[in-house]
Amino acid sequence: MNYKNKNLDELSKKIDDVDNKKSTIKNVKNEGGASFGFKISTEIIAALVVGVGIGLIVDNYFNTKPIGLIIFFIFGALAGFLNVYRVMRRIEKQK
Amino acid sequence: MAAKDSPLKQFEIDPISNIELGGYNISFTNSSFAMLITVLVITLFLTLTVNTRSIVPTRMQLISELMYNFIAQLLSDTVGDNGKKYFPFVFSLFMFVLIGNMVGMIPYQFTFTSHIIVTFALATIVFIGVTILGFMNHGLKFFSFFIIPGVPFYMHPLLIPIEVISYLSRPISLSVRLFANMLAGHTLLKVFASFVVSMSFFGIFPLAFIVALTGLEILIAFLQAYVFAILTCLYINDAYHLH
Repeated sequence: MNYKNKNLDELSKKIDDVDNKKSTIKNVKNEGGASFGFKISTEIIAALVVGVGIGLIVDNYFNTKPIGLIIFFIFGALAGFLNVYRVMRRIEKQK
Repeated sequence: MAAKDSPLKQFEIDPISNIELGGYNISFTNSSFAMLITVLVITLFLTLTVNTRSIVPTRMQLISELMYNFIAQLLSDTVGDNGKKYFPFVFSLFMFVLIGNMVGMIPYQFTFTSHIIVTFALATIVFIGVTILGFMNHGLKFFSFFIIPGVPFYMHPLLIPIEVISYLSRPISLSVRLFANMLAGHTLLKVFASFVVSMSFFGIFPLAFIVALTGLEILIAFLQAYVFAILTCLYINDAYHLH
């Protein structure tokens, strides 16, 4: 009985070791510098593109030339920061 | 358009056969050809390897099963039980992007994922599908997705446009990420390849670098397909759980 338990303990220890290894591999994969920077920059750019696009459409439609662009550019920039914040929170959660 | 030896020459579309229908140019191009090859590779690979259905899988069958498990696991991790019915969609999307990237890694082969119109079309399908899904699940309550809970009401005029823009920027960030990664990687490979010739004897150094870079490109090809799939899963999850 005792002998069996010892074996089981060893086995569970081995499994834990493998799990630990796996999690470290995952963390290393997350910290790819270039891809991380790329992820962040695309988020900001995408939000800005949408903001500026909406601004230009609004200006075209209501004939309010620079005002719509200015307002929606700022909204776009803020949305970009919000996107970055969400991505960061997701990455933090994964760790 | 691009000069004869330009590193951007590889991204040029050239029609294999000119077809015009109702004023639209729907020629069969090298891009369509690459997509056709991709679909053929996926179909043949998956059907032929799983064909034997052995309980102890062969190596090739194991690859197919691993891919299946990979996406099934991804869906159950992010969406939960609701995610099972979206498996065919996410799996075909993942395989199309992955094999498309891999087919692009073969020398002289066209990479269709390096064109933003292709990735944007894929991302738009995901975006529209997820939006419809959100409306199907929640009806008009789906609009409460743009309202952050626990925020004072006088902040809403400021926050709702930001949330809407953030939501609309999803297909753009999804498509730009895949497209720019493939474009940058393949251009870099070509630029370094041109150094090999111009540096004559010392060209061995850029040549060695290209070998390493090719490995990195294959990693990126896989990683971008994975990112595309996981973001699709997250968006499907958002359509179910609004906050």
